[in-house]
Amino acid sequence: MRSAAPRIGLYSLLVGILLLTLFPFWWMIVTSLKRPVDIFAGVALWPQETTLDNYRVLFEQHHFRAFLVNSITIVAVSVGISLVLGTLAAYALTRFRLRLGLNDSALVGSLLVRMLPAILLVIPLYIVLSKYQLLDTRLGLILVYAGLNTSFVVWLMQSFLDEIPREIEEAALVDGDSRLSALRRVVLPLAAPGIAATAIFSVITTYNDFLLALTLTSTPDAQTVPVGVSTLIGKIQIEWGPMAAAGVVGALPIVIFALIVQRHFVRGLTLGAVK
Amino acid sequence: MAQAVATEARLGWRERISATPYFLLAPAIVALAAVSVYPLFYGIRASLEQYRYGREVGFAGLDNYRAVYHDETFWEALRVTLKFVVLAVTIETVLGLLLALLVARELRFAGSIRVGLILPMTIAPVVVGVIWRLLYASDIGVVNPLFSALGLEEPDVLAHTTSAFVGLVVVDVWEWTPLLFLILLAGVQGLPQEPLEAARVDGAGTMRVFFDHMLPLLRPVLLVAIVLRTIDAIGTFDQVFVLTRGGPGTATQLISIYGYNTAFRFSQYGQAAAMLLSLLAFMSILMVVAIRLMRRAAFGVESEA
Repeated sequence: MRSAAPRIGLYSLLVGILLLTLFPFWWMIVTSLKRPVDIFAGVALWPQETTLDNYRVLFEQHHFRAFLVNSITIVAVSVGISLVLGTLAAYALTRFRLRLGLNDSALVGSLLVRMLPAILLVIPLYIVLSKYQLLDTRLGLILVYAGLNTSFVVWLMQSFLDEIPREIEEAALVDGDSRLSALRRVVLPLAAPGIAATAIFSVITTYNDFLLALTLTSTPDAQTVPVGVSTLIGKIQIEWGPMAAAGVVGALPIVIFALIVQRHFVRGLTLGAVK
Repeated sequence: MAQAVATEARLGWRERISATPYFLLAPAIVALAAVSVYPLFYGIRASLEQYRYGREVGFAGLDNYRAVYHDETFWEALRVTLKFVVLAVTIETVLGLLLALLVARELRFAGSIRVGLILPMTIAPVVVGVIWRLLYASDIGVVNPLFSALGLEEPDVLAHTTSAFVGLVVVDVWEWTPLLFLILLAGVQGLPQEPLEAARVDGAGTMRVFFDHMLPLLRPVLLVAIVLRTIDAIGTFDQVFVLTRGGPGTATQLISIYGYNTAFRFSQYGQAAAMLLSLLAFMSILMVVAIRLMRRAAFGVESEA
């Protein structure tokens, strides 16, 4: 019905947009695989001679092993904690009417915490962590992220749990299950896809955080990958190859996770406002 | 809600007065308070303290706030932030809406470009900074050669005040237009077709249909998207830290960068706390608006389903 010409126009526009989106990634990857001489040899869209030296430098001279271990530990533990706390809270909020308008205020509270920009929290958190000698420790970052993530988990999980029909768990309750065993045997398995999506979102935001990790840590004992990436940008001179390689290392795990949850992505980023 | 109440009635009194839900909720509330209310209390205290060389040296009353409001650099940072946020969010919204309208009917195609489009906003903003640092670099980048290939003067993007600022807006547009696009695409695809068809049959032109019929229907989702993006954009820090650290001069010194510098480079924790609490007061208005809008939008989606 519609003629082919506008369609071809539209498709080439979209391909153009896709290229604009993806080319910057390509440039970083290519730069990370070039030798220093080739990096300065003009715009070459393919490495003249492929080398992994830049990556070797990262791990041998720039503590990237430590950064990765820190990031993985901090992300895994803090996301684990917040998933447990947040899912239990979300269950209570969707299945019970609580006193003092708690259903409402807990949800609004968690949304507010989620929306607070990190810059507004860094100074107070810095003061609090230094009071408890938790500056520059993995434990300090774990506690901070666990708390902040809980807000996100509560909010997203209540929207997922809300979609699970109550009749199913009521049957379990009538059969003599306690609330908690009904939650474990009936609700959680049904909510598994939602929990997985929430977990992956939490992993992405925690792994990507920079400002909190930057201010609350100061040595490779606790610094995370994004902070490690920023340490490669000296004031005077930048080692472009290792910096590009660091960018790739920083992006890679997240790209993989993001592809898994891409269907839920908009829902996560808009805090469930758009499904 | 109504459903929850019905469930409760059927479960009998033992369940109703049980403490279980409070036990389930309490740990989360404690965790949330521990990273928000509790530190903010310390933030307020810090804003009333005098600091010298990073140490508390006594009560300052409102001196920090007075110092902030008399600080020309603070106002300059606010102006830069405002300019940055308004420009970036406007461009992202217009581009995102145009794209969403263009591909709304090409469902399969929209699905397949989504994978590519979400990449910029999933990766760490620090990496976004690195990527653009590599593109903008005057010696090894792509932007300078591109300009000279087109016969234009090489811009050295990050070296000049105006181009550095524009360069940051470009980065933000690259990173976040896809989000606006995807949100608005969901919005456009969820529009009821009958009123739009009816308007077309009545002889309304494309523009007319868009402004009189589509835009009002899209308003809830559009507002949520804009407010959320605005809140996020005001807090932009990582990319700027990697790309310019606020320079050249104060051309790209957003309020977040200035607050960070005041606290962690100049150790003026009191003034930085006062500055950021003032920003928080302003932003809480935005956040309340956001929550109101989101509840309405979420309700709209549910009632249609």
